[in-house]
Amino acid sequence: MRTSLFTAGAVAIAAALTLAGPAEAAESDAQLSVLHGVPGLTVDVWVNGERTLDDFAPGTLAGPLALPAGDYDLAITAADAADASAPVIGPVKVTLAASGNYTAVANLDAEGKPTANFFTNDVSQIDPGKGKLTVRHTAAAPAVDILAGGSPVISGLVNPNEETLTLDPGTLSAAVAAAGTTAPVIGPADVTVAEGTHTVVYAWGSLADKNLQLAVQNIEGLHSAPAGVPGGRSGAADAGTASAGQAAAAAGIGAAVLLLVGGVVAVARKQPALRRTR
Amino acid sequence: MNRTTTAEATWRPPASALRAAAQSSSGRIAAAALTISLLLAGCTARQDAATPRPLATDRSATEETATVPAAPAPGSAIPVRPATPLSPTPKNPAPRFLTVDGTAINMSIVEVGVSPDGAMEIPESFNEAGWYRFGPAPGAAAGAAVVAAHVDTTSDSAPFSQLKSLEPGTFVTVRREGAAPLTFRVTGVELMAKDAFDGASIFRRDGPHQLKLVTCGGRWLDEQQDYGDNVIVTAVPA
Repeated sequence: MRTSLFTAGAVAIAAALTLAGPAEAAESDAQLSVLHGVPGLTVDVWVNGERTLDDFAPGTLAGPLALPAGDYDLAITAADAADASAPVIGPVKVTLAASGNYTAVANLDAEGKPTANFFTNDVSQIDPGKGKLTVRHTAAAPAVDILAGGSPVISGLVNPNEETLTLDPGTLSAAVAAAGTTAPVIGPADVTVAEGTHTVVYAWGSLADKNLQLAVQNIEGLHSAPAGVPGGRSGAADAGTASAGQAAAAAGIGAAVLLLVGGVVAVARKQPALRRTR
Repeated sequence: MNRTTTAEATWRPPASALRAAAQSSSGRIAAAALTISLLLAGCTARQDAATPRPLATDRSATEETATVPAAPAPGSAIPVRPATPLSPTPKNPAPRFLTVDGTAINMSIVEVGVSPDGAMEIPESFNEAGWYRFGPAPGAAAGAAVVAAHVDTTSDSAPFSQLKSLEPGTFVTVRREGAAPLTFRVTGVELMAKDAFDGASIFRRDGPHQLKLVTCGGRWLDEQQDYGDNVIVTAVPA
């Protein structure tokens, strides 16, 4: 590859472009999802004083909701509150950038107090043939390790941090264990990492209350195309010489080859602009 | 609230105009980003742990009288689902055999993915074609199913060397695992220079369903040990 052509500056520019979001996002609206990760509490979610999610139950994911870029006030009240004046969480102000992708999570902090966290989702293109997995610790629990097939793949994750892995697509047998141990406190559970998809897994609930569990959010459409289709080996089918045709004729394919050679010449004549000069 | 949304919609240029304006540059940007991301591929396996911005939960924040954009549409419009793992979407039957009328192309299809260098894998056997298993399958509702094979062996032409001379209207048959065969009709053959490779157009995952048969072609470039072009046959459901 012509690595020398690319300077550090070009890399930085491309990185900025990929951070701007997938090409499919024709509109500049931000995408906001909301996850409810506080056990035992049905709530209403208010955006700028309007009831946006009614009777929002623990373990449910809402959205994505397309919103113009800007600042928003989010508040969470008891279900069926008359207004947002007495929130149980918030109000909090969040800033949504154009084409940004976000998840606001109502969850317990490490000590078990209801809080909210605002995560920015990575919606950059994923290398062809790969998927992304992000794990977010939003549970009332100390540091944890994430195990896949019994082996730690993420170590020492603490609330409210996250960590991202780029993986071959497949189904993982995922479990969460106290940091430095392998005895699951959640799972093992099957988590599918699909090609071109960013799968976000949340550990939520409370260790003390024995209701730790996983929530899963999928952000699809982040695939990219392979870098090429390397279908040549020896030059035996070179379009510009008769040798390929002669070799095939010698191999006994016969009259069909004469047609083939005619086709080769025709294609070669039709494509002068694509021909390289040596 | 609704009124605001409507007013905003009225001054927005038609989406089609925006797309047209964006299209000419988006391809180049995507290609550049892809190139760079491949260069960076070796160091993207694992990202550093990131800390989200914790939200202030202090009630005093209520005091702020900030001007904020209009609130979103009412709750009924927002999809809400249990945040449990999605059950895998049913897959289309995999293609198993490819026949192109009037040619020697009569070959098995195997499933392939991506090589370590980021290119599509191509089966070694001269009489096997590879289907890009991460993209649509032949018979999918949308997008392009890509089947590729070598154009040559170490000493001779391979069956896919005949792709470049296919006439529009030629029938292509794909036999599948546990499903009825599919017939496609060739609509065109194109040469794409490898130094202007447009992967997004070949490996398209949305839009009208097509079958793309891909190999190498054009001149053999000794200094690069590669052909100068890709030959791409486009076929549509017959």
